[in-house]
Amino acid sequence: MAKYGVMQQSHTWVSPRSSLLPSSVSDFHGSSLNISIQSWRRKCQPKETAIRVMASSKNILVMGGTRFIGVFLSRLLVNEGHQVTLFTRGKTPITQQLPGESDQDYADFKSKVLHLKGDRQDFEFVKTSLAAKGFDVVYDINGREAVEVEPIIDALPNLQQYIYCSSAGVYLKTETPPHFEVDAVDPKSRHKGKLETESLLVSRGVNWTSIRPVYIYGPLNYNPVEEWFFHRLKAGRPIPIPGSGIQITQLGHVKDLAKAFIKVLDNPKASKQVFNISGSKYVTFDGLAKACAKAAGFPEPELIHYNAKEFDFGKKKAFPFRDQHFFASIEKAQRELGWVPEFDLVQGLADSYNLDFGRGTFRKAADFTTDDMILEKKKKLVLI
Amino acid sequence: MATSTSFSTFSLLPQRKSPRLSTVICSLSPLPSVSHISQSSLSSQFLSISQPLNIYSFSKRPQFSSKFIVKASADKKKVLIVNTNSGGHAVIGFYFAKELLASGHEVTVLTVGEEASSKMKKPPFTRFSELVSAGGKTIWGEPSEVEKVVDGATFDVVLDNNGKDLDAVKPVADWAKSASISQFLFISSAGIYKTSDEIPHVEGDPVKEDAGHVAVEKYISSLSFPSWAAFRPQYMIGSGNNKDCEEWFFDRIVRNRHVPIPGSGMQLTSISHVRDLSSMLTLAVEKPKAACCKIFNCVCDRAVTFNGLAKLCAQAAGCELKIVYYDPKEAGVDAKKAFPFRNMHFYAEPRAAKESLGWTSTTNLPEDLKERFAEYVSIGRDKKEISFELDDKILDSLKVSSSVPASISV
Repeated sequence: MAKYGVMQQSHTWVSPRSSLLPSSVSDFHGSSLNISIQSWRRKCQPKETAIRVMASSKNILVMGGTRFIGVFLSRLLVNEGHQVTLFTRGKTPITQQLPGESDQDYADFKSKVLHLKGDRQDFEFVKTSLAAKGFDVVYDINGREAVEVEPIIDALPNLQQYIYCSSAGVYLKTETPPHFEVDAVDPKSRHKGKLETESLLVSRGVNWTSIRPVYIYGPLNYNPVEEWFFHRLKAGRPIPIPGSGIQITQLGHVKDLAKAFIKVLDNPKASKQVFNISGSKYVTFDGLAKACAKAAGFPEPELIHYNAKEFDFGKKKAFPFRDQHFFASIEKAQRELGWVPEFDLVQGLADSYNLDFGRGTFRKAADFTTDDMILEKKKKLVLI
Repeated sequence: MATSTSFSTFSLLPQRKSPRLSTVICSLSPLPSVSHISQSSLSSQFLSISQPLNIYSFSKRPQFSSKFIVKASADKKKVLIVNTNSGGHAVIGFYFAKELLASGHEVTVLTVGEEASSKMKKPPFTRFSELVSAGGKTIWGEPSEVEKVVDGATFDVVLDNNGKDLDAVKPVADWAKSASISQFLFISSAGIYKTSDEIPHVEGDPVKEDAGHVAVEKYISSLSFPSWAAFRPQYMIGSGNNKDCEEWFFDRIVRNRHVPIPGSGMQLTSISHVRDLSSMLTLAVEKPKAACCKIFNCVCDRAVTFNGLAKLCAQAAGCELKIVYYDPKEAGVDAKKAFPFRNMHFYAEPRAAKESLGWTSTTNLPEDLKERFAEYVSIGRDKKEISFELDDKILDSLKVSSSVPASISV
């Protein structure tokens, strides 16, 4: 069996001209790739795309890119005429047709995006495989720890830009929100790996850009953010919300985030800069529950408030958001990048619902264990 | 009552080190002495206000270069400020006047009512001599008779910092239109925004259609001034304020009393230093085209929760903080009287000013409150006899005694 056949099965690049591929394409699966193949691929770009190609079409590596953010980002990058390679272990299909995406568009995208199969925790492999290719730009969507980034930087001395998906979770809790990019960060936060990565990028002198999203939502979200509400709304259950329900959070649509990632590409204004990326407005927990109902066409839900301290939920998460105010200003990105979020909250939730949950798809099955614990206690209180 | 000199010590000095106060042991220590600045040096002190007033301890905001450049006469404007004689807004006109004067503009402040009124015994009116010594004019009268009161003087810009409804503002707006005023500015209120689960209030968001300020904004926009703008402020702090803000917290904290906060204390509000409002107004005067025909939320760019504000006040005072939470209905008190801020999220952001005027905020609550506390003590308010009737009613309803250790580490 030709290794080429294996490529097809793992849904990597399949071109109408595939019969012209030299056999060395088998090297795609992990060892050094013949550079001549890359230039050949570029020449093979269909004419339509060639017209749209910017003068600076880049050879782009995306670390991750097959689950959520990267799914949307890679499409935008390919549409812009860049060559996109996704570095993943291959556990998730390299490409998946998006709900609402035409067969033609999907086939077109699928035909262009490349896969570099590997485990990014295998630092040696990362270094050698990347060094062989010489990418222009790296989008690091799934990096968590600074050590994971070192081999990438080592492998690519001529890297033009390292674009990192960090998190607004790095900010130190404040008495005066919102978080601005200049605000203090928390070296002890759960996201300190992200912080250490940002510091590493600074110290290595690469041209870096760091994006700090807040809560991301949208179709294909694997974090049960909006899904958590949709499950309860669909089941006709009350929505249990910790505390007063006036805690303020912020959601940013994944498509807007993907557009922000595009805006920073090759942008001098993004050089060595951090940007908060999220929705234009913030929302209370109570407000979010109502917005989910409105977006999905459910009646306004019953909200139950409870004191989280009175419960031991064990390892289960009773609510998808941190129990505090948490929001960041996006004005720097708007001002410096000319980026504007397109989705407002209800529109964005409707987009997510219509393309995902509303079609019967979701990532995490409904689990009402903690809800029932809360409702049980409330019932007892009422009876007293 | 302290002289106006001591007030100005706290508002005008650029990057001044804190006065050397002995540590204030809350409700126990004697009044520390504060250095006074003589009246004559005030104007020179004031002109040097071009330096940023705060040293940011944690936020690495870029320091902006001096803004109060004395302008060439080509840019000089003649500005009339119609100012309310009381309330939370009164201080806006005072700071605005000072900033305009420092920038070389001509300023007349028309305060509503009579100069001999007892209302003039409160700040900022007690400090109007500072306006005069800086070259400003202060007059008194009724807005409905503005033409008569200004007695033939002509102006380029008018700010109405007085009216809350059409009855009060229409006469001024109509006169300004007939007098060919180039720019009409109005102090409205962020209180007119409809409440929403989505935060913050942003210019363009729906407003309460029956609000007096809304009618005024609409009327002004219909008069086709070459330039007009409405400014929607929230709460403000700053020396010369006519209405209590942070003092409400200081009153309780220095006396080692519980601070009663309605609800969860997580309600967001916006507390700006009045110099932010003044700088936004000044920028609008300097950039009439950019400011034209717009609504501006006249606030700093950060929120603070009730809890956060209490904490920052206690930190500024160097005192312990004890909070009790209550439900106004259950305690049988009117929330509006029992607490100085609206009992809900009330937070607007100054997005239009940043975008259209290139305005930046300099409010730094942790630092600003330290300065406010220093003044609070210097005027002896920490020693003043204050009745805490509503507080006691609330505490009674919760059956809380002062010995209950409900402290929060600061």
